[in-house]
Amino acid sequence: MNMKKYLPLTESTAYILLVLHEPLHGYGVMQKVKTLSEDTVTIGPGTLYGAFSTLESEQLIAKVGEEGRRKVYELTEKGQQVLKEHIRRSEILVKNGAITKVW
Amino acid sequence: MTTMNKFHWFWAWDDEKEESWLREMSRNGWHFNSVTFPGNYLFEQGEPQDYVYRLDYFTNRKEMDSYLQIFQDAGWDYLGKMNGWQYFRQIAVTGEDQEIYTDNQSKQKKYQRIMLYLAIFLPIFLNSIITVNRGASSGLIQVMGFLMGLLLLLYVYGMVRLLHRILQLRRIV
Repeated sequence: MNMKKYLPLTESTAYILLVLHEPLHGYGVMQKVKTLSEDTVTIGPGTLYGAFSTLESEQLIAKVGEEGRRKVYELTEKGQQVLKEHIRRSEILVKNGAITKVW
Repeated sequence: MTTMNKFHWFWAWDDEKEESWLREMSRNGWHFNSVTFPGNYLFEQGEPQDYVYRLDYFTNRKEMDSYLQIFQDAGWDYLGKMNGWQYFRQIAVTGEDQEIYTDNQSKQKKYQRIMLYLAIFLPIFLNSIITVNRGASSGLIQVMGFLMGLLLLLYVYGMVRLLHRILQLRRIV
């Protein structure tokens, strides 16, 4: 798979994919991202809706159910690979940041 | 209940000014009730309240329910729509970023959607220009051609303004 067209992910997208390792609807995603990112990332409903439709059409996430008017999504195999590669790249950056630390 | 009709037109690239204006109206005790036709608001009088208003552009009817649910879950009251513009509000909270778009990339897409929608009208313009060129002898067609020309100018101007808005939202680094 050619992952170049997806990478690097925006911080919001990376977090959305990360929390979707388990099935969640929109509200769940917003809550989890806020907690998990220690309040550094907030996702507004406009941004989230847009991300859901793009990620779904790119098959990085898939709809796995519905709870009333809420759609439930989960990470796909392809989404997992993209996220994994994004994290690998981020780890390299973090490692280099730690080595170079001049502040 | 005291109500008031007010005409307040806005262009798509000035949607943030419209949001500020609605907030100001609420601070003065005039709260959004509905949009009755394009640009025409119905306000109802009440206690002054600091509401943050947000406008989104969304036209997919099939997806409307799940779209609105996400906004509702995020704490936004849905007020109504007009020509694809969706009106939301929530009470202002000091120190909080009350945005429906929390990064520039997704905000750009909102304006891209508007441009895409406007692109539907391009064939109509081209078609009428061809028609006018062919039948320029008739007076009526010349008048129509002039009006179409004005509309086309506005159309091109609007597209340029929207593109400018998108470029403004591009990341600097």
